[in-house]
Amino acid sequence: MLCAALSWPLLAARVLATPPPLPAEHLTVERLPPRSPHWVYVFDYMFDNEIDARVYLYDGDSYRRLGQIGAGFYSSLNLSPDGGTTAVASTYFARGSRGARTDVVEFTDNATLTVTHEILLPSKRALSALGLFNLSYSADGHLLYAAYMTPAASFGVLDPAAGTVLGEVDTAGCVLVIPSGHYRVSSLCESGRVLTVTLDAQGHELARAMSEPFFDADQDPVFVQGIPTTRGNVFLSFLGEVHQIDFSAAPPEFAAPWSLVSPAEKGHWRPGAYQVGAVHRELGRLYVPMHEGGEGTHKDGGTEIWVYDLASHRRLARWPLKVHGLSRVIAVQVSQDPAPILFAATETSQLAVFDALTGRLRHIEKHVAQSPWMLLNP
Amino acid sequence: MRKLDQLCERSTRSLAQRTSRRSLLASLGQLLTGAALLPLLPMDRAGRARAAEAAPRADSPESCEYWKYCAIDGFLCSCCGGTSASCPPGTAPSPISWIGTCHNAADGRDYIVSYNDCCGKSSCATCDCTRNEGEKPIYRPSRNNDLNWCMANADVNYHCTVSVILGVAEK
Repeated sequence: MLCAALSWPLLAARVLATPPPLPAEHLTVERLPPRSPHWVYVFDYMFDNEIDARVYLYDGDSYRRLGQIGAGFYSSLNLSPDGGTTAVASTYFARGSRGARTDVVEFTDNATLTVTHEILLPSKRALSALGLFNLSYSADGHLLYAAYMTPAASFGVLDPAAGTVLGEVDTAGCVLVIPSGHYRVSSLCESGRVLTVTLDAQGHELARAMSEPFFDADQDPVFVQGIPTTRGNVFLSFLGEVHQIDFSAAPPEFAAPWSLVSPAEKGHWRPGAYQVGAVHRELGRLYVPMHEGGEGTHKDGGTEIWVYDLASHRRLARWPLKVHGLSRVIAVQVSQDPAPILFAATETSQLAVFDALTGRLRHIEKHVAQSPWMLLNP
Repeated sequence: MRKLDQLCERSTRSLAQRTSRRSLLASLGQLLTGAALLPLLPMDRAGRARAAEAAPRADSPESCEYWKYCAIDGFLCSCCGGTSASCPPGTAPSPISWIGTCHNAADGRDYIVSYNDCCGKSSCATCDCTRNEGEKPIYRPSRNNDLNWCMANADVNYHCTVSVILGVAEK
């Protein structure tokens, strides 16, 4: 009786202190916030399950994944010049891992991450995952170029607005679709030359021209992962030569090459990665994953990121990575705003976010993807 | 430990400066012939295979260190139901391939090796191995290991990669 009398106030207090029940929830679909220059599209090649590659949209300020775009098998991708669309060229099999092959370019609205339309391709898409230049837009966004390899090399000219294939252009063994102007497509050749094909607005070939060799594929080949600059692209060689090509000119103009490494460093330190550099176009800064290694290490990731001024060719900084607990960096990208951040994906699937001006580490995402081999941003 | 590292680095660099890679390999090959039972230290290799679990010995076709794999990039068919020169059951070999030149320390010879993909099933997803001796970008396709060499098969899905000896490389 005494116990009951004593416990009543306690029970009453507990009832009074119990918060009201949670309200019923309404299932909705999240909308993306307004686009940020600090977003990055992380291409997950999914090497252990190649038929299911994907692209993750990641925010370098909130450090959150915002959404996903499907990317199928051995896909190539690129962003439209206005950043509003992600184009993914992919291959699907009718029964998942087998069956009839369908090659297709799928267009995703980057404001909603929904597929808006597609273009069926002939079954001859280049099945090579590395680099920006297996699928690329013309500068005005009116044409899209898709690299073909059967292994005979050519490229398809597509009309992304109409959703049609306009035609096919033979490239005489040269590969990649590097866009410039209205409407030129350049390709790299085994001879070290650049083939440039000029098209009309309907995708018909008007002219073609071959440059003099600018590299030697035997002595010092260039990576195919060209890095866009204001007027063209930078191509790095295995030994660290920097080839700046002005593709806005017709024919393309080749600046005298310069080196990432001093004579003492040459042959010891070298660039290496799956995405081997990034350029902040306004600042003219080049970021390269570098490592110590010999011949055959060109896909080893960087143990440091070296920063250069493209105008003076001066090295501005060396940023070691191990001190941050980072493994080797295999892909880099930099945002293009005045307060830029550098994204660096590692071979153990970390994604590091640095202040691109100072090298200060802002964040490490411990596992951003299975195979984060390329990073894109608008 | 740091001093030991520096000492090892200096002596390795000094040796490297005095010795060409081929002659070093040839000498080592002669030295090590018949000595395959020596215990092997774990190696810190670069690339994706570096993350592989405890690797089998380097003389094993299931090891990424195996001599024939000097320019391979993919899953070792030896771990997927095939061997280093045969595709797993139910897959189809690619009729086209890339090639590498690999040194066999056991006999001191260089061999031309054809890397064919085995096709028609999805990723084997074990024994991932990437090595890139003499590997070139795709503008030289015959030496490129980034391409899916199942590209000309009826079913282009990639499963794993074999390494087939074509012959002794001419000096």
